[in-house]
Amino acid sequence: MAEVCSPLRIPLIAGHKKPGAVTEDVCRPMLRPPSGLWWAGFSVSFSFLLLGVAAISYQIATGVGTWGLNTTVGWAFDITNFVFWVGIGHAGTLISAILFLFRQKWRTSVNRSAEAMTLFAVMCAGIFPVIHTGRPWLAYWLFPYPNTRGSLWINFRSPLAWDCFAISTYFLISATFWYVGLIPDLATIRDRVAPGLRRRLFSIFSLGWNGSYRVWRHYEVLYLLLAGLATPLVVSVHTIVSWDFATAVIPGWHATIFPPYFVAGAIFSGIGMVLTLMIVARKAMGLEDYITLRHVDVMCKLLLLTSSIVALAYGTEFFTAFYGGNAYEQFVFRNRALGPFAWAYWTMVSCNVLAPQFLWFRAMRRRLGIVFVLSLLINVGMWFERFVIIVTSLHRDFLPSSWAMYRPTIVEVSTLLGSFGLFFTCFLIFCRILPVIAMGEVKAVLHHGHGNGDHV
Amino acid sequence: MSSRVLTIVLAVAVVFSGVLLASRSAMFRLPGNHQGYEPVQPIAYSHRLHAGELQIQCQYCHFSADKSRHAGIPPASVCMNCHKFVAAPLGAIRAEDDLAQKEKRAPRPVVSTELRKLYEAVNSGTPIAWTRIHSLPDFAYFDHRPHVNAGVACQQCHGPVESMERVRQVSDLTMGWCVNCHRDANRTGVAGRRVNASTNCSTCHY
Amino acid sequence: MEKRYWRSLEELARPASQEAEFSDTSASRRDFLKIAGFAFAGGTLAGCSRAPVEKALPYLSQPEGLIAGRSQYYASTCGGCAAGCGLLVKVRDGRPIKLEGNPDQAIGRGAACAAGQASILGLYDSLRLKDPLASGKPSTWPEVDAAIRSRLRPDTPVRYLSGTITSPTKQSAIDTFLAQFHNARHVMYDSLSASAILDAHQETHGARVLPHYRFAEADVIASFDADFLGTWISPVEFAHDYASRRLPPNISWHVQYEGRMSLTGSKADRRVRTAPAEIRNRLADLVEQISSGRGDDLAERLLRARGRSLVVCGTNDLDIQILVNHVNHLLENYGKTLDIERPSRQRRGSDRELAKLLEEFRSGQVGALFIDGVNPIAELPEPPELRRAGLVVSFAGSLDETAEQAHYVCPDHHYLESWSDAEPIEGLISLTQPVIRPVGDTRAVIESLGVWSGRPVRVYDLLREKYAAVWERSVQGGFIETNRSLPVATQYRAPSLTGRGQGAVSGYTLVLHPSVAMLDGRHAYNPWLHELPDPITKVTWDNCAALSPATAASLSVSDGDIVRIESVELPVVVQPGQHDSVIAVALGYGRKASERFANIGPRWIDRQPTVNAKGRIGENVARFLALENGAVRYERAGVRLSKTGRRIDLAITQTHHTLEGRAIVQEIALADAGKPPEPREPHEELWPPDHPMPGHRWAMAIDLNACTGCSACVVACQVENNTPVVGKDEVRRRREMHWMRIDRYYSGPPDNVEVAWQPMMCQQCEHAPCETVCPVLATVHSDEGLNQQIYNRCVGTRYCENNCPYKTRRFNWFDYPREDRMANLVLNPDVTVRTRGVMEKCTFCVQRIQEAKIESKHTGAPLQDGDIRTACQQSCPAGAIVFGDLNDPKSRVAQLARDRREYRVLEELNVRPSVHYLKIVRQEDRQNG
Repeated sequence: MAEVCSPLRIPLIAGHKKPGAVTEDVCRPMLRPPSGLWWAGFSVSFSFLLLGVAAISYQIATGVGTWGLNTTVGWAFDITNFVFWVGIGHAGTLISAILFLFRQKWRTSVNRSAEAMTLFAVMCAGIFPVIHTGRPWLAYWLFPYPNTRGSLWINFRSPLAWDCFAISTYFLISATFWYVGLIPDLATIRDRVAPGLRRRLFSIFSLGWNGSYRVWRHYEVLYLLLAGLATPLVVSVHTIVSWDFATAVIPGWHATIFPPYFVAGAIFSGIGMVLTLMIVARKAMGLEDYITLRHVDVMCKLLLLTSSIVALAYGTEFFTAFYGGNAYEQFVFRNRALGPFAWAYWTMVSCNVLAPQFLWFRAMRRRLGIVFVLSLLINVGMWFERFVIIVTSLHRDFLPSSWAMYRPTIVEVSTLLGSFGLFFTCFLIFCRILPVIAMGEVKAVLHHGHGNGDHV
Repeated sequence: MSSRVLTIVLAVAVVFSGVLLASRSAMFRLPGNHQGYEPVQPIAYSHRLHAGELQIQCQYCHFSADKSRHAGIPPASVCMNCHKFVAAPLGAIRAEDDLAQKEKRAPRPVVSTELRKLYEAVNSGTPIAWTRIHSLPDFAYFDHRPHVNAGVACQQCHGPVESMERVRQVSDLTMGWCVNCHRDANRTGVAGRRVNASTNCSTCHY
Repeated sequence: MEKRYWRSLEELARPASQEAEFSDTSASRRDFLKIAGFAFAGGTLAGCSRAPVEKALPYLSQPEGLIAGRSQYYASTCGGCAAGCGLLVKVRDGRPIKLEGNPDQAIGRGAACAAGQASILGLYDSLRLKDPLASGKPSTWPEVDAAIRSRLRPDTPVRYLSGTITSPTKQSAIDTFLAQFHNARHVMYDSLSASAILDAHQETHGARVLPHYRFAEADVIASFDADFLGTWISPVEFAHDYASRRLPPNISWHVQYEGRMSLTGSKADRRVRTAPAEIRNRLADLVEQISSGRGDDLAERLLRARGRSLVVCGTNDLDIQILVNHVNHLLENYGKTLDIERPSRQRRGSDRELAKLLEEFRSGQVGALFIDGVNPIAELPEPPELRRAGLVVSFAGSLDETAEQAHYVCPDHHYLESWSDAEPIEGLISLTQPVIRPVGDTRAVIESLGVWSGRPVRVYDLLREKYAAVWERSVQGGFIETNRSLPVATQYRAPSLTGRGQGAVSGYTLVLHPSVAMLDGRHAYNPWLHELPDPITKVTWDNCAALSPATAASLSVSDGDIVRIESVELPVVVQPGQHDSVIAVALGYGRKASERFANIGPRWIDRQPTVNAKGRIGENVARFLALENGAVRYERAGVRLSKTGRRIDLAITQTHHTLEGRAIVQEIALADAGKPPEPREPHEELWPPDHPMPGHRWAMAIDLNACTGCSACVVACQVENNTPVVGKDEVRRRREMHWMRIDRYYSGPPDNVEVAWQPMMCQQCEHAPCETVCPVLATVHSDEGLNQQIYNRCVGTRYCENNCPYKTRRFNWFDYPREDRMANLVLNPDVTVRTRGVMEKCTFCVQRIQEAKIESKHTGAPLQDGDIRTACQQSCPAGAIVFGDLNDPKSRVAQLARDRREYRVLEELNVRPSVHYLKIVRQEDRQNG
């Protein structure tokens, strides 16, 4: 049919692609040997991963004492990293599920990689609750299972127990959602690769997809259902994570606004990470036509929104502290802004509240360099948000006699780097072996320039 | 035809493996659970003979069961209370006497091989290294006193020791086993009396 | 060491004993394989890995009255210092495992100080000498005896150098030993000397005695640099007496003049910062005012309390002590608050004699020197060159600085291994009985002396015949009292009170003082005491140069900056309330005995050593003492102080010293203290009480007014509950493991502060924040109100610790090394030794509660109030801690919980702590000068 583009709508996908071309573009990086750039990135992130493995093995062998924690500050890097990664993991499901339900067509070119990112982030997050325990080899006690100890069950009142369920559910659902989304594309690749192991693998995982009308219809229904199922998780997971703190008595933790505050923060950081990855990916893999400035622009707006919510939360915290008249609460917030960890607090504020203000300007939103830097800053800022919440609340709580400082050790820092190593290693491998863009869905919106928008 | 044979064979195989599996899983025990542990002791002391046939009270030998956390393994001196005089089974002594009668000589003293070990230990002053059977992990503080004094029969935990040639761990001594008994005791009482068998964690763990 | 009790193998250090048990497989091959299988599986799954083949060794014939697994208590006397507190030694399966005060004995009155309680570790000190040494090499007693006797001629000038001998039996043994020589002398000196007090009484009362101070009788106490609650002469007794008078109606009034901040100063109603040099003039003024019958506030108060007042002074200076005697004489305190008919024998040393001996040394007039219970090389300003004596024999139990130089070392028993007696107060004889067979081939000093004087004796026989009449009673009760008293010259010789001190001096004055833990350094081997935070500075594993905030500011130094004092370099610790001209440094550090701590604590990449560059703990500052005109000076005027620019991180357990205006420590005015409690509105509850406590309801009451911060409870808790020692680096990282700590808060201007003490341990909250957050139910509430901690269930999320408002939970960050199997024998078999990664905390000594409950079930007698005493309560000299059943309205704790002074820390959180604190009583006119 003829290519008629409406002057009103800018096409989601630039370069007047034909479906075939899409397949070509997306599959190209998978079929040709990895570039030097890829190898460079991979070796760096993989060496970080190894560093992390070394740190964690040493810590498990020697004891949690190899971290800088003490009697007063019982959590620091460990739980900070945990919350940070869970937060990162939120963007994927948000983009693929919620935006899908809202029929945001632009999502199609980013949802695949965003979901992949979600999985890897949740994997990283999952490490920390396990290794932060004093006896990780007994961490399985956190799950209820029949045992020989009479009726010794787990403590269902403990938010930490809820975490286990929340995180594992989230991981399973997003994994399924992601895989289901992959099936059509797997089939496409199956049909393109030369006979051999690779084709056999792809044919196994594409579950005998034949692209028939019935298959497509079932597929769409299932995808919709899963999207519906995943949506509440986006809200629930970080809500539950926030309860880890909100249900505690420690001033600075014991706050009712934590659930919305954390969810907003999570989406904020997630989108930030998506942007970081996308901007790199589109350059490195030549996907400029699929991930257009428009996508960046839209996501920047999302950033602006969530950033404002987070800023509001920061303000509210201080207000409630001031207005609530609880001396301990008031002290904690004074201590955050002016105490020994003020530097961390102001890093957080400048990265999460001040930096995103640039995004009010269209010009800024469309300047990739700037957006990239901002997205990095946002990731830094969100890490510090968790650090500030955890450490500054703990290190000076009720009894001044037990006030203490916290200084991370080399082992902790290596563990943090290691988690990044794991994340990027997984992502790079994903870029190599799977289509980073949902071909099937992109093709569906190819002609989304039509005046009436329908495409048959 | 052949397919039917095959199905039969398969069915048999399945049943067989099922049975096998069932028996295996019946024997399965968690690590740390030494139920059925029955080590050979340095002296082949027979509870069946002493507690069973001769009906010596448990606490005659394990005399601190009602006074202390540990029931206690009797010191050799307790054995000697009797074995100063009893050195061998009656049969052996009779046989020796008859033999002596025939040979027209004074009967020689007969000492059973097991008891000889006891005498050697006492004379040489080296304690007898019994192998411990019932042993709980160090974080569980079991105390014989309240149980014995409440009237719990030794057999309830240790099984029919009076019928054992060599003592065997009968109960699995898991926490569940303890707790369930405590619960039952609170409901039904012990030896007809109401008891307060606490199920606080710190009853056993501190 | 008894190893033959059954189970005792198992109670030895677990890791070391396992291979042994493994290799020993008298079970049949089949059994062994089966069990090995279990063990292997067990090993892979954590928690249940235990060596399966366990040997149980019964006695051949069991001693009468001994029952495996039951503790027995033997009355004895503490050998921690010369004070001679009565002890009850808890012996379990043949091993002494805990020292508790003997409630009947007059000195300890049921309490024991930190150092005393820790002294049990000395028994299991693996570095103690096991044999006599001849010129540094292990030898045998016959050889050593022969050698020594061969070198003793009747005409050898023999000197016997010892600390205060409180044991009459030993005294007579020494006398008879010395009697066989023409030129022999027994020289006694105290490393913490009270010589001037004795000499002063020689001057004024014609008898060289140390009065027995009766703080319980005193309405007004004026103390000049005497730390009688901390380390001075007999602190446990004094603390008890003092505390007995600190509540209305008959509350005493206490003024403290001191240069440094001492425990005693921290409790004073009025504390006057006074430079050491000003003390003399202050006393001279006081004498004038009192003799003139009118004067300033203090003089008036003292005059009003004639015969019910007490003036004490810690300065070891004859003239000053004469002034003190004169004041007490003018106030008619003798025979009332000071007893010299039945004086104290806890300090008998004479610095004059010591000076004379050192003189003889220099002129080489000493033929043979016997050194008993002192360490002159480490303790004296200019130590004698021992080698100049022909024969030097040391009785030291381990190779200290002095024993190193001795020709022969004839190790004495540890006091828990030996028979002995002590007479701390004239007429009060307290017995010491052995509670364990000697660990090494050691020999009691008395027996050694007996051998060398040709009349071998057994101490047991000596005591037996000496106290034949009262033997049973004295051994069973631990002490006997005779109404023997000294005839003291009745006429009082008024001294000539001429001359005054030069008053304030230029430069800094170095004040050398004993610390609560180390005293004079005799406990330098003891890791518990090194890790015990100094009550005032909260510094562990070091002695520091304490400076007043103003001085520190003027020098622009802060905590941890290293300064040089003459030749010694010490880290600074800023001490509010200290006089600006004073540098206070603790004695007893930098000892050879502390070299053993080179490897203490967990080992990992980022770990810092516990010992300093010299391989020791702290610096020995004895060189700054001065032995001049017949007394050891503990103050040195005009020392120079310079910065080095270097700094270290001190291992301090409390780095924030003010209350930030929080009502954590509360005070009450004297007027209100006595009144009946005011009604309190009941706290509104959202939910009905969901955990009833029908039977017992354990609770504790802590009287902040009585607590002197002496830290005896901290050590008691550590010994009772097998709390590990973690070393300097871990403490620096704020990971000390003490279940019980004593928080110390300052208020008021930094130059003269008020001090508040607050013992803090798990508050056993009814609505415990820790319980709700533990995911595995490792900490739950018992139906007796205990917040139980189940170590073997804990996975170590540390969530409970974060959520604890009191931060009283302790986490096992590492597997703390317990390699010293000897030291492991002190472990309490009734308390689990926690592994790595497990949370632990105070549980009101639940093991004691269990024991008492089981016993009462057995005997049928219901538990009485006071049957159960927690370790901390048991050890408290001031009786500040009360434990009991809140459901029993007549129990002491229940009464105290209704007291007007009662409050609970952080009550506003509604966590409902079971520990009730009693407010500090402040006298209206409190003011610091």
